[in-house]
This record gives sequence, C-alpha cells and structure tokens, in this order.
Amino acid sequence: MLLALIASIALFFLDTRFNYFAPTRSALSTVVYPLQVIASFPNDALEWISDAFQDREQLAEKNSALAATNLLNNIRLQKMQNLERENMRLRELLGSSFRLTERVLVAELLSIDLDPFSQQVVLNKGLDQGVYNGQPVLDAHGVMGQVTEVASYSSRAVLLTDPSHGLPVQINRNGLRAVAIGRGLGEPLQLAHLPHNADVRVGDVLVTSGLGGRFPVGYPVGTVIAINFPQGKAFADIAVKPAAQLNTSREVLLVLPSAKKTPINNEVISTEELH
Amino acid sequence: MATIKTPQGGGIIIFTVIISMLLMMVPLADNLRFARPEWVLMTLIYWAMALPHRVGVGYAWFSGLLMDVLMGGSLGVEAFSYAFVIYLVLRFHLQLRQYPLWQQAVSIMTMVLLVNIPAVLMSSSHVSWYMWLSVITTTLLWPIAYAFLRAIRRTFNVS
Repeated sequence: MLLALIASIALFFLDTRFNYFAPTRSALSTVVYPLQVIASFPNDALEWISDAFQDREQLAEKNSALAATNLLNNIRLQKMQNLERENMRLRELLGSSFRLTERVLVAELLSIDLDPFSQQVVLNKGLDQGVYNGQPVLDAHGVMGQVTEVASYSSRAVLLTDPSHGLPVQINRNGLRAVAIGRGLGEPLQLAHLPHNADVRVGDVLVTSGLGGRFPVGYPVGTVIAINFPQGKAFADIAVKPAAQLNTSREVLLVLPSAKKTPINNEVISTEELH
Repeated sequence: MATIKTPQGGGIIIFTVIISMLLMMVPLADNLRFARPEWVLMTLIYWAMALPHRVGVGYAWFSGLLMDVLMGGSLGVEAFSYAFVIYLVLRFHLQLRQYPLWQQAVSIMTMVLLVNIPAVLMSSSHVSWYMWLSVITTTLLWPIAYAFLRAIRRTFNVS
C-alpha cells in the first residue's frame, strides 16, 4: 500500500510538474487505443447503419442541398482568391512576409466519454500520421482546440472551452487583441483583461491572432454575445460564443505546419487535404 | 506450495475489468454523464472481496493507471485512489462478506467517497455537486453488479 502511495505521488508530481512521463503516457495510450475504438464502436455502427439505410429521396435531397452550398462556396472562394492576391500584393508593398498555404489533415473524433470535468476529445490520428503536440484543431466553423497528447495511432485534444485553455485572439473589426479563456462546456468563453473602455461590441467576430505561435492567423474563434461592466471590477466581463460546433462536429481538421518561407509570388491558395 | 487450490480464471478477471473500462467510456447523454457509476472500481472491489489472494493493491493500482491514461487525467490520481480503496477492502473483506447487500452498498459508498477526495484535491477545474452523483449511482447499482459478478465467478469457477 505504501509502495502504491509513493509511486502514485511520484507519478503525479513528475507528470504534472515536469511532464516526465510523456513517452510512457504515449505508449500506454497506444496500448489502450483498441479499448477506445471498441467503446466507440456502437455509436459508429449506428451511424453507419443509418447512413446505409437512408432512402433515395432523402439522399437526393441532401445531394441537391450540398450541390447548392458547393456552388455558393465556389463563388465565395473565387472572391476570396482575388482578395487574397490583393492582400499579398499589399503586403509585398509593405515588405512583410505572408504565409501562403496551410495543409490540413482530416481526423475523426472517437465517440467515447472522458472525464466529464475536463473538455477533451480523442482523435483517430496520431504520431504515425504526423500529428504533434500543440497542433491546432479546427472544425468546419472555427477553432476547436489543440492537441495535448500524441500516441502512435491516436491523439488527445483539449477543447477551447476547457478552463485551462487560453487562446490569443483579435477582434476582426479593429484588430484589438485579447485572450479568450475557457469556462467549461456549454459556457461561453471569456475575454480576459480587457478594460471597461475597450472597443468591443456585441456581435464582434473574433479570429485567432497568431500571437503565441501555436495557432495560424485568421481562423474564426467566435462572436461576442454579451458585455457586462461589473461594478468594482477592473476588467469588463465579455462573453464569447465559440464558432466551432464543439458538441456536434465529428470530423475535425488538424493544421499541419506550412512551408514557412514560400515565395510571395507563388499564387497557390489551396488548402490541401490529406487523408 | 501449501495451497491446495490452484488459481484459475485469471483471464475472466481481466476480461471483466476490461469490460468495465469500456462501460466507463461508452458515450452517454450529456446530463447522464455525471451519473456514470464507477464500474471499474465496483469490479475491482468485488474481486478483491471474493478473491483477496488474486486481486490486490498492485492490480488495482495498475487498473487505476490505465484509467488515468484513458480518461486523460493526471497520471497517478485514479491509480492511488483505486489502490487505496482496494487496500481497505482487503483489510475488511471478511466483515464485508458477512454484511447484507444494502450494508455492503453503504460501505462501498463511503469508499467511493474516499476515491473522489483525491480527485477533488488535485483537479484544476472547478468542482460542482455533480461530482457526487456517481457515488449515488454506484451505491444503487452495487447489488446488481455484485449478483452479476458472483454469477460470473460461479459459472466460470474462478478461484
């Protein structure tokens, strides 16, 4: 018993303070990955069955809806390409460098429950697919979080609503920078340390600022939904609704590091997909 | 060796522990998640009570460590609490076996409460009263788990 106590305490401190056991943890995660896959199986199977037995009309309906959105997106993309080129030219004039392509890796969430008191998800891509610690995780609507632990075939990501997660953001409208801090699942994020007179309005869109070097610039994070000025507090209380659909997204994108010094004239826009 | 019975059915014990780990991970509705009973702990308690020479503190410690990895907590928290509970069970297993089921369930409730204390002390996130829901469900489900595991032990003649 004493042995177990000492071993536990040693483990706990070495793990939390010095991250000494990252390789061990990664190895153990690889060992338990099959368990997680099995636990995830019933849900996946259900989903597969409901996919397989959808009737023809539903599929046709879905298909036409998707075709319509695809068309819309293509039109937007054309506009966006123009804007991006213009942006690059302007930056060229200013003499600042610009990162061009960001490659992404598509991963799927395992539908398993973890500790209900911390917001984490398990992804089905790991070291073998080039996932690394600290990698940004996005879904189709915005930033979801970042990878905190990588095993051979799986990885664990912490969501941006986790109370231990802070994300450097800026307001799209005026470039005001802030840090968005998680307050738990279902709760809005909080913009920390903004004074009462900061220029923030309800409805402002927040994007990643790229400060801190983990997240690429310009991905949507959320919108401001409420601003309060509590009496006697130094800072405003600003609530932000995350753009990402944290509860419903099944597929997520992992951003791979881009080739840093791409020549500015290279007109590649693509957001390549790797499978 | 002085023992007459040779231990058998170790695979069954491991199998039940693995199944309980799966039960800990199977997705539940959001409002039910907090009420998830401590399946792994119940399984370990049963085996430690029924076969104290097979399932000991080391066994519990290792299962707890795996749970830490599965749940993504800090390494060592669950490992310690599981080991501690199984230590108590081993210490009192003769009394526990004599108790009627409801009294067993109450004893186990106190133990699960003990398990939650290190988690409370060491968790960085805020603690809410939801935390204690799992204690209640564990207590309520103990008689069922007990009957089920005993049936397994008898069927497969684990000793």
